[in-house]
Amino acid sequence: MTELLKANIWADVTFYRRSKLLLAFMLVFLLLTALQSLPPLFMDSGVQSFNSLQQIVADLNFFLLILAGGMGLLIISSHLRNRNLKMVFTKPCSPELWLLSAYLSAAAMSLFLNLVVLGSGVLLSVLWRLPVRMGLVFVSAETFAVSLGLIAFLMLLAMIMHPALAAIVALIFNADLFYQFDVWTKAAIRSGNSSIALRMVERLFHGLYILLPMVYPFDKQTQNIHTSLRVMSGEWKYLLFSLGYTLALSAFCYCVSLFALKRKNHI
Amino acid sequence: MIVAEDVHVHFPTGLFRRRVRALDGLTLDVRDGDFFALVGQNGAGKSTAMYCFLGLLRPTSGKVQIMGQSPELGARLYKNVAYLPEEPHYHLYLTVEEATRYYSSLYGKRVSDKTIDDSLERLGLAQFKTLPLAKCSKGMKQKVGIAQCLIHEPQVLFLDEPTRGLDPLIVREFRETLREIHQRGATIVMNSHVLSEIEMLANRVAILDRGKVVVQDELQNLLTLNQELYRVVFEGNGVVPEYLTAVERTGHLVRAFLPKARLCDFVELVRASGMLLHECSLKKTSLEESFFNLVKGEATLTENAGGNREVSVS
Repeated sequence: MTELLKANIWADVTFYRRSKLLLAFMLVFLLLTALQSLPPLFMDSGVQSFNSLQQIVADLNFFLLILAGGMGLLIISSHLRNRNLKMVFTKPCSPELWLLSAYLSAAAMSLFLNLVVLGSGVLLSVLWRLPVRMGLVFVSAETFAVSLGLIAFLMLLAMIMHPALAAIVALIFNADLFYQFDVWTKAAIRSGNSSIALRMVERLFHGLYILLPMVYPFDKQTQNIHTSLRVMSGEWKYLLFSLGYTLALSAFCYCVSLFALKRKNHI
Repeated sequence: MIVAEDVHVHFPTGLFRRRVRALDGLTLDVRDGDFFALVGQNGAGKSTAMYCFLGLLRPTSGKVQIMGQSPELGARLYKNVAYLPEEPHYHLYLTVEEATRYYSSLYGKRVSDKTIDDSLERLGLAQFKTLPLAKCSKGMKQKVGIAQCLIHEPQVLFLDEPTRGLDPLIVREFRETLREIHQRGATIVMNSHVLSEIEMLANRVAILDRGKVVVQDELQNLLTLNQELYRVVFEGNGVVPEYLTAVERTGHLVRAFLPKARLCDFVELVRASGMLLHECSLKKTSLEESFFNLVKGEATLTENAGGNREVSVS
């Protein structure tokens, strides 16, 4: 089993390394980040340097989340569309193992990229003579934890629908959108419009908001860390909570994806 | 060894989800140690049958078993099974060497560098081992498929159009390798449109038409000798006796069929006229002819006086 897992993870990591789409995406974003880091080189103010550092770290982590989702989406859709799973499942390699390998390979890539971003943050802090704050570690660790859930969710979407549709669902029809709709319908009900239809719509939006995965489940509690890059001793627990949430989400998405893969009539 | 009983595969297609019958009551029995060939026109259901055997396609109804087990995706029974797909559905981002190594390692065993190198050398891929599969020709991809198939010396081989796109030298060597594997006791199921190749390799044949097995029998029973007709090839010099039938001329060369009753007359004519006789042998029904006649419904498989089955044209 270890041999099979290793072989699949190696093949998937090779896929990421050679994916031109991911490479192009990464290059464009790195170019933009590099341009963003140019102005502080000509400034002497520590505050401005810190603001730039905070912005760069935030942008890079946001980019990492999109990249992680993209990796989950691509690894499934590319294999399904190229129909090369025929070569895998006609050997003693079970769908359970293959899917786990795909997830672990994306997670490994995400971890590596998170470490690179963390390293860049530390390097910039040193270059701009800023204290290296523990918030950098917290933000990177949280981004990695969140990316695990995103990878699993996008893998599930890619398994059951066309990749373009999956991307649209993930980017637009996500929990944030339905949260806003939920807030809007609740406000309308409070202002006096209490029709049955509106109540039903509110229930629907609320249900969808609860059902769809959240990107940052403890957003309110950790917002301060993202802006100040400081962590209070009592705040580290949110990292564990985030990890717990994304691992539970990943396990759920893995089971549904596996079910969908096994139910496919034609590989 | 491999059994299919009344297997139906229906695909819904088009706007109105019209059902297409890819397999329509397929019943097959491949015995242990068979070199079994599936023959049929395009769309007859050969590849679909193979997908069902490998668990890649779930039949709408019917029973499929390999080595007494139902085929499931990635089942343990595939430890001794190898599959060569018709279309090059490979991991195109891997190089020739990486793909061979990856597919071989999916059997859960460590494969040494030497084994991989020897395998690639044997198939003439050594100089292309760093080339990505996406840049390889169809024939080269097919060779990678063959390499990964043969590396673990499987007990059961499923080959879907194995020699498509291969150069003649490799085809010959591949044929020899298949013979060796078969003699070692492996069971081989092969789809092919190259009927001459099947004549050379297979011992049992199933002819498929519109998702059904028209005939399933020993190859020898489909390749019968016509006792009443001779095939003659000679240099005519303009003289062609009237008792010859199906006369074909290519330059000086004449090909025709000679009734057994006129054999002595023909031999006398050759002796008297000094014609150069190239060939005179009992007419053999090739697999191609049997296939054509059986699929067109112009022949049936009947039992002769000796109790053997043979193809008789109506």
